[in-house]
Amino acid sequence: MLVDWLPQGLKDILGPDVIFWLGYITNGKHLNWYASVQYTLAAMLLGGAVALVVGVLAAAARNNGPRPLRWLAAGYINIVRGVPDVLFFLFFPLAFEQGLEWLYSLQVCTADTLALNVGKWPPCPAANLSFNSVAYLVLAGVSLGIVYGAFIASVVAGALQSVPQGQLEAARAYGMSRIEVLRRVHIRQMWVYALPGIANVWMSIVKATALLSLLQIFDFVAWAQRLGASNFSKAAGLVHDDWRWRYYLVLLVFYVLVTFVSEKIFSAIGSRLRRGMPMAEQGLT
Amino acid sequence: MNLIETLLAEIVRMAPAALFNIYFAFAAIPVGFLLAIVFALGKNARNPLLNRLSRIYIYFFRGSPFFIQLFAFYSLALAFNVSTWKPLGIDWLVLNPLFLGPAILMLNTTAYTAEIFYGALITVPRGEVEAARAYGMTRGQRFRSVTWPNLIRLAWPAYTNEVVFLFQTTALVYFTLPVIGDQRDLMNTAEVLFQKDYNVFLHFGVAAGYFLAISLAIFFLFGLIYRRLMRHMPQQATMRFSWQRLFGQAPQ
Repeated sequence: MLVDWLPQGLKDILGPDVIFWLGYITNGKHLNWYASVQYTLAAMLLGGAVALVVGVLAAAARNNGPRPLRWLAAGYINIVRGVPDVLFFLFFPLAFEQGLEWLYSLQVCTADTLALNVGKWPPCPAANLSFNSVAYLVLAGVSLGIVYGAFIASVVAGALQSVPQGQLEAARAYGMSRIEVLRRVHIRQMWVYALPGIANVWMSIVKATALLSLLQIFDFVAWAQRLGASNFSKAAGLVHDDWRWRYYLVLLVFYVLVTFVSEKIFSAIGSRLRRGMPMAEQGLT
Repeated sequence: MNLIETLLAEIVRMAPAALFNIYFAFAAIPVGFLLAIVFALGKNARNPLLNRLSRIYIYFFRGSPFFIQLFAFYSLALAFNVSTWKPLGIDWLVLNPLFLGPAILMLNTTAYTAEIFYGALITVPRGEVEAARAYGMTRGQRFRSVTWPNLIRLAWPAYTNEVVFLFQTTALVYFTLPVIGDQRDLMNTAEVLFQKDYNVFLHFGVAAGYFLAISLAIFFLFGLIYRRLMRHMPQQATMRFSWQRLFGQAPQ
């Protein structure tokens, strides 16, 4: 127990009640709970990074790509935006796993085992794959990225159109190719217009990480659920009854804090990006 | 042929489930809409208490995930079950997902909608409000005949998005609230069917198709209302359903 290390004088000042609660919230299970924040944060950051890459690529394809690529990008953006994130979030890891199992079954299954297992999944028992929680975490991050990449894409598509046309014409006049204009001028100037929208999508990603527990990842939410459930042990009797609402309130406060900090960071990035830009004249303060 | 038959059977099987999602969304919308007006006005109010409370409410509900709000309010409702709901004899209502689901959705959509309305409220042309004042209109008259019509026109496109998001959020309700009998929504049905035959593409695909179709229907419906709201305005209404915008050309 961490509380045992406190000096006796401090313990006397705080009194037994405070010491008890300090001990309760720093026992082993609670420390595990605090540590599980890392999964939530990892999924957030991975999801954000994938979303940014996917979003910029899809937006560039939709605005500047050849026709089939343009249709593909527009289809992706509209379909993903029209479907709840939780659906895709459950679908993508399952579909990915089944895809791998199918590939694997081509290797390991024989005609006999396939015939025995018709209409079931996996195609034969030998082709059964199971992922560990790290693999699921990566899959969850990637599926967050794919879902919110579509939102980033529509933000970025709008921002690409807000870049003053003169800048692009000047770049063309300097003899840059279309790809060079896109890479060197267009995308670099786009960020300042896209930032408010990207901040919004980031907040959505932050909030979507609450869904991680649906993929059997023992994240911050799943631990709170487990700790809050009524706790009964043979040795100590009923430790506490259903305390879940207290733990969920902590979760709510945690997420509000993450959003608050993100907001501050984004406004700092924004004012840095806007250095020396006469935004007021463009009506974009 | 077999594939089409399977698909059709799946679509028919999921149709009643879709009604639950539609019910959740449309039971939450009217109260949420009205309360959002109150909170938007509250966020704009001079009274510091009113202002502070509205801001906190909106920030809290917009800053936390709906999934956790659902957990928190459901567990709160459970915690008060024995002490409050049972003696009052309303536990069958309060703990019923068909009541609790829309109630929590309503709390959530109120905050998002209030933020949208507040954003519109502060961009209502000042000159028009001043003109109304100069005519000697009372506060209520000013709100009814100048502020509100401007506000709703400004806010409508964003509000349309919020309604579609609300509809998609209903997918989360039955992950937390108990399922009574076979009252299952789209996500729940898809998962139950998936557990039987592990056909992820069929079940989740059809569920996604339902969400997509109903989202498009909401866009279409709200687009019609928007055109009606904007019918006297000089410019063409821009929020119109177009295949061209859906596939290919980015809106200019």
